[in-house]
Amino acid sequence: MTAMHQIHLKIGPAAFRIASAWRQPLDQLAALYRDYPAPVDDGVDFTVRLEPEKPWRRHLRPSVHIGGDFWLPDAAPLPLAQGLLAAEMGMNLQMALGWRRHLLLHASSVEKDGKALVMTGLSGSGKSTLSAMLAERGWRFMGDEFALLSLETGEIFPFPRLISLKNQAIAAMQNLAPESRFGPEMKATPKGDIRHLVPPTEAVARMDEPARPALLLFPRFGHEPVLRDMGQAEIFVRLTQASTNYVALGEAGFRALTRFVDEVPTRAMDYQSVEQAEEMIEGLWSQLP
Amino acid sequence: MTLTYRAGPKDDLIWHGLDSMTLLFHRPSGITHMLADPAPAILEVMEEAPLTAVEIASRLRAQFDVEPGADMENIILARLEELSALGLVSRDSR
Repeated sequence: MTAMHQIHLKIGPAAFRIASAWRQPLDQLAALYRDYPAPVDDGVDFTVRLEPEKPWRRHLRPSVHIGGDFWLPDAAPLPLAQGLLAAEMGMNLQMALGWRRHLLLHASSVEKDGKALVMTGLSGSGKSTLSAMLAERGWRFMGDEFALLSLETGEIFPFPRLISLKNQAIAAMQNLAPESRFGPEMKATPKGDIRHLVPPTEAVARMDEPARPALLLFPRFGHEPVLRDMGQAEIFVRLTQASTNYVALGEAGFRALTRFVDEVPTRAMDYQSVEQAEEMIEGLWSQLP
Repeated sequence: MTLTYRAGPKDDLIWHGLDSMTLLFHRPSGITHMLADPAPAILEVMEEAPLTAVEIASRLRAQFDVEPGADMENIILARLEELSALGLVSRDSR
């Protein structure tokens, strides 16, 4: 058995234990999560393990295998320099496969005036970048990856882990946020160039505060700017696809998702720049009841 | 011998109307079905009795405005076979 280092992190309602054969990814995590509250007791929801792919690879060209309570057999090992990414991917994986206390939507969310804007879409839609940008322009950041829909109240709970910036979004955010909030730059990972950004202080301080969903957007980057109405059937189907635990939650998931589709105004939004998107969002927001 | 169809117990299903479709959550299987007309109407008029396609057609005519001249029995039979494949109705005979 390899001796493991470990760190405990609490992000929104979820407590994680990250165990690693190496110190480096944990030191990076500790630095980036320094302003997050420590878990109140030793209870953890999930364990993520970063281990050598093979024991003898620990020192010789080390390669990080992601393990944990839940795992996917085809999760490829990453080089040690990308250990921070491995830890973040491991935490996402545990949430996606194991979380049962909320309906989990693969979506970003931000809050203003006590109301949440939820943005979902495929990878490359820009939902993560939009949430990061809006968080620097007067909105409270709630999460760039998962929106947690309450099964009881229909509210959105934050999951404000580190913001995972990819490729062009890195330079764009460097113009807005101070260098001290950025993690190390990781080039040419399986997800492209990645750099993590610590969410604004307010997002962390208020990470237990839910908000009522007031607008759902399906953004799509790279197309002529337009807002489009969507039918409820299309919205419902796309949200089941965006949820990692809809099937597992059974009737509770069905009730939460149908309520969400009934109550939350929804638009598809095509856009070519963050400025365009912001203008469209502010326009829609000002018309909300 | 006449083919009959019977819908599952009412409490097995949670109904939810969307703008263009009807969602049915099937409790025993945990599966969500999304049905287009006239399948939800067929299930609704069947209640829990074993019925033939002809009997279902007459119940539909009594409750809904049905287009005259439509080949109702065959349309209903086709939908019943689909609903049967989904496990929402069962087939029997009398």
